Amino acid sequence: MDERRETSGDVAVERSIQLSADPSLVWQHVTEGELLSTWMEGSVEIEPRAGGVISMTEPGGATYTGVVDELDPGRRLQWEWRSEDGMPARVEIEIEPLESGTRLTIRETLLHQQVFETPPQRFLRTDSPHLPDVESSARIHTVAVA
Amino acid sequence: MVTHEVFAALADPTRLEVLTRLAREGPATATDLAAKLPVSRQAVTKHLAALDSVALVERHRTGREVRYSFHPDPLVAVVSWVESVGHQWDKRLERLRQELE
Repeated sequence: MDERRETSGDVAVERSIQLSADPSLVWQHVTEGELLSTWMEGSVEIEPRAGGVISMTEPGGATYTGVVDELDPGRRLQWEWRSEDGMPARVEIEIEPLESGTRLTIRETLLHQQVFETPPQRFLRTDSPHLPDVESSARIHTVAVA
Repeated sequence: MVTHEVFAALADPTRLEVLTRLAREGPATATDLAAKLPVSRQAVTKHLAALDSVALVERHRTGREVRYSFHPDPLVAVVSWVESVGHQWDKRLERLRQELE
Protein backbone atom coordinates (compact mmCIF):
# COMPACT_ATOMS: atom_id res chain seq x y z
CA MET A 1 0.00 0.00 0.00
CA ASP A 2 1.21 3.46 -0.82
CA GLU A 3 1.94 5.21 2.48
CA ARG A 4 1.73 8.64 0.93
CA ARG A 5 -1.28 10.52 2.12
CA GLU A 6 -3.29 12.10 -0.66
CA THR A 7 -4.84 15.41 0.23
CA SER A 8 -7.38 15.57 -2.55
CA GLY A 9 -10.25 16.84 -0.42
CA ASP A 10 -11.54 20.27 -1.20
CA VAL A 11 -13.44 22.85 0.73
CA ALA A 12 -14.49 25.09 -2.12
CA VAL A 13 -17.02 27.63 -3.25
CA GLU A 14 -18.08 27.74 -6.88
CA ARG A 15 -20.13 30.28 -8.73
CA SER A 16 -21.13 30.33 -12.37
CA ILE A 17 -22.73 33.22 -14.19
CA GLN A 18 -23.91 33.83 -17.74
CA LEU A 19 -23.11 37.22 -19.18
CA SER A 20 -24.26 38.76 -22.44
CA ALA A 21 -20.83 40.35 -22.99
CA ASP A 22 -18.28 38.82 -25.34
CA PRO A 23 -15.63 36.52 -23.86
CA SER A 24 -12.87 38.98 -24.77
CA LEU A 25 -14.51 41.75 -22.75
CA VAL A 26 -15.08 39.44 -19.79
CA TRP A 27 -11.44 38.35 -20.00
CA GLN A 28 -10.35 41.98 -19.81
CA HIS A 29 -12.47 42.38 -16.68
CA VAL A 30 -10.72 39.53 -14.92
CA THR A 31 -7.14 40.34 -15.95
CA GLU A 32 -6.86 44.13 -15.91
CA GLY A 33 -6.45 45.71 -12.50
CA GLU A 34 -8.47 48.80 -13.32
CA LEU A 35 -11.40 46.74 -14.57
CA LEU A 36 -11.12 44.19 -11.76
CA SER A 37 -11.35 47.09 -9.33
CA THR A 38 -14.77 48.02 -10.71
CA TRP A 39 -16.39 44.80 -9.53
CA MET A 40 -14.13 43.22 -6.91
CA GLU A 41 -14.61 44.84 -3.53
CA GLY A 42 -11.42 46.85 -3.52
CA SER A 43 -8.56 48.24 -5.49
CA VAL A 44 -6.88 45.46 -7.44
CA GLU A 45 -3.43 45.32 -8.95
CA ILE A 46 -2.45 42.35 -11.04
CA GLU A 47 0.42 41.29 -13.27
CA PRO A 48 -1.44 39.04 -15.70
CA ARG A 49 1.18 36.37 -16.19
CA ALA A 50 2.22 33.20 -14.39
CA GLY A 51 4.33 34.29 -11.44
CA GLY A 52 2.84 37.78 -11.44
CA VAL A 53 1.72 39.46 -8.26
CA ILE A 54 -1.91 40.15 -7.42
CA SER A 55 -3.07 42.35 -4.57
CA MET A 56 -6.31 43.85 -3.45
CA THR A 57 -7.00 46.56 -0.91
CA GLU A 58 -10.54 46.66 0.42
CA PRO A 59 -12.25 49.98 1.13
CA GLY A 60 -11.81 49.26 4.85
CA GLY A 61 -8.06 48.87 4.38
CA ALA A 62 -7.74 45.09 4.57
CA THR A 63 -5.33 43.76 1.98
CA TYR A 64 -5.01 40.51 0.11
CA THR A 65 -1.83 39.47 -1.59
CA GLY A 66 -0.96 36.55 -3.78
CA VAL A 67 0.59 35.21 -6.93
CA VAL A 68 -0.87 34.32 -10.31
CA ASP A 69 0.10 30.74 -10.95
CA GLU A 70 -1.68 29.97 -14.18
CA LEU A 71 -2.87 32.00 -17.12
CA ASP A 72 -4.31 30.65 -20.35
CA PRO A 73 -5.15 33.78 -22.36
CA GLY A 74 -8.86 34.26 -22.95
CA ARG A 75 -9.80 31.10 -21.07
CA ARG A 76 -8.40 30.54 -17.65
CA LEU A 77 -6.74 32.39 -14.79
CA GLN A 78 -5.67 31.03 -11.44
CA TRP A 79 -4.12 32.69 -8.44
CA GLU A 80 -3.42 31.96 -4.79
CA TRP A 81 -3.90 34.63 -2.19
CA ARG A 82 -4.61 35.36 1.42
CA SER A 83 -5.57 38.32 3.53
CA GLU A 84 -3.22 39.63 6.21
CA ASP A 85 -4.84 37.52 8.89
CA GLY A 86 -7.09 35.22 6.88
CA MET A 87 -6.91 31.84 5.33
CA PRO A 88 -5.02 31.07 2.14
CA ALA A 89 -7.10 30.14 -0.86
CA ARG A 90 -6.81 29.38 -4.55
CA VAL A 91 -9.03 31.26 -6.98
CA GLU A 92 -9.74 29.76 -10.40
CA ILE A 93 -11.53 31.72 -13.09
CA GLU A 94 -12.74 30.11 -16.29
CA ILE A 95 -14.28 31.73 -19.31
CA GLU A 96 -16.39 29.79 -21.77
CA PRO A 97 -17.84 31.31 -24.93
CA LEU A 98 -21.57 30.73 -25.40
CA GLU A 99 -23.62 31.11 -28.58
CA SER A 100 -24.50 34.51 -27.28
CA GLY A 101 -22.32 35.79 -24.47
CA THR A 102 -20.05 34.16 -21.97
CA ARG A 103 -20.13 31.78 -19.07
CA LEU A 104 -17.85 32.83 -16.23
CA THR A 105 -17.04 30.31 -13.52
CA ILE A 106 -15.23 31.17 -10.31
CA ARG A 107 -14.01 28.62 -7.84
CA GLU A 108 -12.28 29.49 -4.58
CA THR A 109 -10.68 26.62 -2.69
CA LEU A 110 -9.43 26.70 0.88
CA LEU A 111 -5.78 25.68 0.97
CA HIS A 112 -6.00 23.43 3.96
CA GLN A 113 -2.39 22.34 4.19
CA GLN A 114 -1.29 25.92 4.66
CA VAL A 115 -4.13 26.55 7.07
CA PHE A 116 -2.54 24.07 9.43
CA GLU A 117 0.55 26.24 9.65
CA THR A 118 -1.27 29.49 10.31
CA PRO A 119 -4.50 29.39 12.29
CA PRO A 120 -7.19 31.55 10.75
CA GLN A 121 -8.66 34.54 12.50
CA ARG A 122 -10.70 36.17 9.83
CA PHE A 123 -11.31 35.74 6.14
CA LEU A 124 -13.42 37.62 3.64
CA ARG A 125 -16.06 39.23 5.77
CA THR A 126 -19.44 39.70 4.15
CA ASP A 127 -22.44 41.52 5.37
CA SER A 128 -24.88 41.67 2.50
CA PRO A 129 -27.62 39.16 1.77
CA HIS A 130 -27.23 36.31 -0.65
CA LEU A 131 -27.89 37.39 -4.21
CA PRO A 132 -30.42 35.09 -5.79
CA ASP A 133 -29.69 35.33 -9.51
CA VAL A 134 -26.21 33.91 -9.52
CA GLU A 135 -26.00 30.20 -10.11
CA SER A 136 -24.02 28.89 -7.23
CA SER A 137 -22.87 25.91 -5.34
CA ALA A 138 -20.81 25.39 -2.28
CA ARG A 139 -19.05 22.11 -2.38
CA ILE A 140 -17.44 20.31 0.47
CA HIS A 141 -16.17 16.93 -0.41
CA THR A 142 -13.36 14.90 0.93
CA VAL A 143 -11.41 11.95 -0.35
CA ALA A 144 -8.87 10.55 2.03
CA VAL A 145 -6.53 7.82 0.84
CA ALA A 146 -4.28 6.33 3.47
CA MET B 1 -8.56 24.01 13.20
CA VAL B 2 -10.24 24.54 9.84
CA THR B 3 -9.05 21.96 7.42
CA HIS B 4 -9.63 19.18 5.06
CA GLU B 5 -8.61 16.92 7.95
CA VAL B 6 -11.86 17.78 9.69
CA PHE B 7 -13.80 16.35 6.79
CA ALA B 8 -11.39 13.47 6.31
CA ALA B 9 -12.19 12.53 9.90
CA LEU B 10 -15.85 12.25 8.88
CA ALA B 11 -15.17 10.19 5.76
CA ASP B 12 -15.34 6.91 7.69
CA PRO B 13 -18.98 5.79 8.14
CA THR B 14 -18.40 4.30 11.61
CA ARG B 15 -16.60 7.42 12.79
CA LEU B 16 -19.44 9.56 11.47
CA GLU B 17 -21.89 7.32 13.31
CA VAL B 18 -19.89 7.74 16.54
CA LEU B 19 -19.98 11.51 16.15
CA THR B 20 -23.66 11.55 15.21
CA ARG B 21 -24.54 9.58 18.32
CA LEU B 22 -22.56 11.95 20.53
CA ALA B 23 -24.30 14.92 18.92
CA ARG B 24 -27.76 13.38 19.21
CA GLU B 25 -27.57 11.48 22.49
CA GLY B 26 -25.06 13.52 24.46
CA PRO B 27 -21.74 12.57 26.09
CA ALA B 28 -20.77 8.91 26.25
CA THR B 29 -17.85 6.63 27.00
CA ALA B 30 -16.21 4.34 24.44
CA THR B 31 -17.92 1.41 26.17
CA ASP B 32 -21.35 3.06 25.87
CA LEU B 33 -20.80 3.68 22.18
CA ALA B 34 -19.44 0.19 21.45
CA ALA B 35 -22.60 -1.31 22.96
CA LYS B 36 -24.66 0.48 20.31
CA LEU B 37 -22.40 -0.10 17.32
CA PRO B 38 -21.32 -3.26 15.51
CA VAL B 39 -17.67 -2.64 16.32
CA SER B 40 -15.34 -3.37 19.25
CA ARG B 41 -14.58 -0.98 22.08
CA GLN B 42 -11.00 -0.78 20.78
CA ALA B 43 -12.27 0.29 17.37
CA VAL B 44 -14.49 2.95 18.94
CA THR B 45 -11.55 4.21 21.00
CA LYS B 46 -9.51 4.55 17.81
CA HIS B 47 -12.29 6.49 16.10
CA LEU B 48 -12.66 8.76 19.13
CA ALA B 49 -8.92 9.46 19.05
CA ALA B 50 -9.21 10.44 15.37
CA LEU B 51 -12.12 12.75 16.16
CA ASP B 52 -10.20 14.18 19.12
CA SER B 53 -7.19 14.93 16.91
CA VAL B 54 -9.29 17.37 14.85
CA ALA B 55 -11.15 18.73 17.89
CA LEU B 56 -14.53 17.32 16.89
CA VAL B 57 -14.90 15.76 20.34
CA GLU B 58 -13.93 16.82 23.83
CA ARG B 59 -12.68 14.43 26.51
CA HIS B 60 -13.92 14.65 30.06
CA ARG B 61 -12.26 12.44 32.66
CA THR B 62 -14.16 11.52 35.81
CA GLY B 63 -12.15 9.13 37.95
CA ARG B 64 -11.28 6.20 35.70
CA GLU B 65 -13.97 7.03 33.19
CA VAL B 66 -13.45 9.10 30.06
CA ARG B 67 -16.54 10.56 28.51
CA TYR B 68 -16.59 12.18 25.11
CA SER B 69 -18.83 14.97 23.92
CA PHE B 70 -19.48 16.48 20.49
CA HIS B 71 -17.52 19.68 19.79
CA PRO B 72 -18.93 21.35 16.63
CA ASP B 73 -16.59 24.35 16.37
CA PRO B 74 -14.37 22.97 13.56
CA LEU B 75 -17.44 22.27 11.42
CA VAL B 76 -18.87 25.71 12.15
CA ALA B 77 -15.60 27.35 11.08
CA VAL B 78 -15.52 25.54 7.74
CA VAL B 79 -19.18 26.24 7.04
CA SER B 80 -18.59 29.88 7.99
CA TRP B 81 -15.72 30.13 5.49
CA VAL B 82 -17.87 28.63 2.72
CA GLU B 83 -20.72 31.00 3.52
CA SER B 84 -18.66 34.18 3.74
CA VAL B 85 -16.56 33.48 0.64
CA GLY B 86 -19.69 32.52 -1.27
CA HIS B 87 -21.45 35.76 -0.37
CA GLN B 88 -18.39 37.74 -1.33
CA TRP B 89 -18.39 36.23 -4.82
CA ASP B 90 -22.15 36.72 -5.15
CA LYS B 91 -21.69 40.43 -4.56
CA ARG B 92 -18.71 40.67 -6.90
CA LEU B 93 -20.41 38.81 -9.73
CA GLU B 94 -23.53 40.91 -9.41
CA ARG B 95 -21.41 44.04 -9.69
CA LEU B 96 -19.66 42.55 -12.74
CA ARG B 97 -23.01 41.80 -14.34
CA GLN B 98 -24.13 45.39 -13.78
CA GLU B 99 -20.82 46.67 -15.09
CA LEU B 100 -21.09 44.67 -18.31
CA GLU B 101 -24.80 44.91 -19.06
